[in-house]
Amino acid sequence: MNYTTQEFMVSACSRLIKDNECVFIGVGIPLLAGVVASKIHAPNSVLIYEAGGIGAISRRLPWSISDNATTDNALVATELWRVLGDVQRGYIDVAVIGGAQIDKFGNLNTTAIIGAGKTYQRPTTRLPGSGGANDLASSAKRVLIVMRLEKRKFVEKLDYITSPGYIAGPGDREKAGLRGGGPETVITNKCIFRFDPLTKEMYLDELFPGVTVDEVKAAVEWDLKVGSNLKQVEPPTEGEVEIMHRIDPLGVVLGSKSKQENQSFEEYYKIMKECYESMALLI
Amino acid sequence: MSVNKVTTLAEAVQGLVNDHDTVALGGILSREPVACSYELIRQNKKELTLIVDSHDESVELLIGAGLVKKVESAYVWVGVIGSGLNFRRAVEKGLPKHIEVEDYTNLAIGMRFLAGALGVPFLPVMSMSGSDIPKYNDKIISMADPYKGQPVNLVPAAEPDVAFIHVQRADKMGNAQIWGMLANDVNIARAAKKLIITCEEIIPTSEIRKIPNMTQIPHYCVDAVVELPFGAHPLGVAGYYWLDTPFRRDWLKASKTQEGFDAWVEEWVLSWDKFEEYLQKLGSDRLAKLRKLERDNYQIPRIENY
Repeated sequence: MNYTTQEFMVSACSRLIKDNECVFIGVGIPLLAGVVASKIHAPNSVLIYEAGGIGAISRRLPWSISDNATTDNALVATELWRVLGDVQRGYIDVAVIGGAQIDKFGNLNTTAIIGAGKTYQRPTTRLPGSGGANDLASSAKRVLIVMRLEKRKFVEKLDYITSPGYIAGPGDREKAGLRGGGPETVITNKCIFRFDPLTKEMYLDELFPGVTVDEVKAAVEWDLKVGSNLKQVEPPTEGEVEIMHRIDPLGVVLGSKSKQENQSFEEYYKIMKECYESMALLI
Repeated sequence: MSVNKVTTLAEAVQGLVNDHDTVALGGILSREPVACSYELIRQNKKELTLIVDSHDESVELLIGAGLVKKVESAYVWVGVIGSGLNFRRAVEKGLPKHIEVEDYTNLAIGMRFLAGALGVPFLPVMSMSGSDIPKYNDKIISMADPYKGQPVNLVPAAEPDVAFIHVQRADKMGNAQIWGMLANDVNIARAAKKLIITCEEIIPTSEIRKIPNMTQIPHYCVDAVVELPFGAHPLGVAGYYWLDTPFRRDWLKASKTQEGFDAWVEEWVLSWDKFEEYLQKLGSDRLAKLRKLERDNYQIPRIENY
């Protein structure tokens, strides 16, 4: 069947969420992957959003970690510091977050690409900042990172470490007193990376169909190691793709930006109304 | 004890906000006090320092209008549908003016508000170690905790001069009820020196008493109450209306240049005298549909007998 790389990423990411897990969801692709997992293979997973929603059964894609949909049919509607406190306390099994730049130890930069001759206060490119990502990267038991594999994103050295991975190698998280397990998997549009248990270095573990090792290596700045048992990622199923589009009929995560830009209010209203009606059948 | 604090937004901003104030904003995406940002722009309140967790339009608008001197934040962006164009322009290019940044995490900002709300000078957090956040932020103090010797990061209490929180409903005294996610509003309300509550509906105190668990902000924290339906537009309010995404896209498109943003402000913020005119400009049909999208699916349950 046909699928887009975006659908592939959502599917690959959602499958790493296990049933019965407490799942903390970050912005971007994680928003869709969480709902997809809960509708397909992890119906007892509890989706948690940092503005305070715990256990929502959303009838559409939450557009943010604080959107009304994050408390739709929820178990709990509470406070931001409270749910992030629950992360710090150790209640969260898995956190799913995005990133702008990553290094081989899984450290993430979402604050600033400072650039030569520039400063933190006046960088070349300012990014949003941590949000809750640092808190999740510090304290969640497992961390899944979703980001596109593109040039200048998988770098030798970050300008700024926003969220810690394994910092500068084995033992560093323990030294820093971080309680969480650190990054487990990095899901991209071409492959899946994991981390060597001894060296804590990111290696190539699974390829998307049609992608070569050289293609991946070319996009990574450090000398990337390849796993001894290189696997191929299973493509999304029809069922997964169908549900993704039901949850995100506007293509907010799934893409098709040009379609959205010219959308009138009337079209928007109609699509969202149908979305609610379609999703209501799944509750 | 029935003090009536009901006023207009224009009067509240005029009386309670000064240039150079430190300002906190409630909500996150949902319930962000966007109409309050419009009013701050209309009254040209300048040199503001913002303390926010993660915010979208309410902060972007103030930065784009050149009212902000500094942002103490965890995240400023227009998540999922775009990027923080005004934030980027101000930090990277100094347009319309440069803003100083001070980064935290969401938990760290949350603990700053909690410290402010508790009246303690600081609180520790376990995150941020091993990252560069403390390195670039002098206010974060990394130390070994005096009991077990674990690495902790201390963050100072936030005590904003003034805070704006938009809620679903409140009474005239200011008892404010929130439905859905609370973000950091319970603590922002208590940490702020002055608090302006805007709400979708003013309801009788007798209705508040039917479901007191929903009262997240007691009246003694509140200085002004403003009834402001659609006060979070184009963002949403749980149980009242959903996001006006086409409006947000148009705004983002305009914000690609400073000139475009300035023209947008001229049209959507400065061209009217009363907020009702802004709503009229949007059209009652559009507002009704935003309300319907939310209310058909999600609303505050009615409690008839308590």
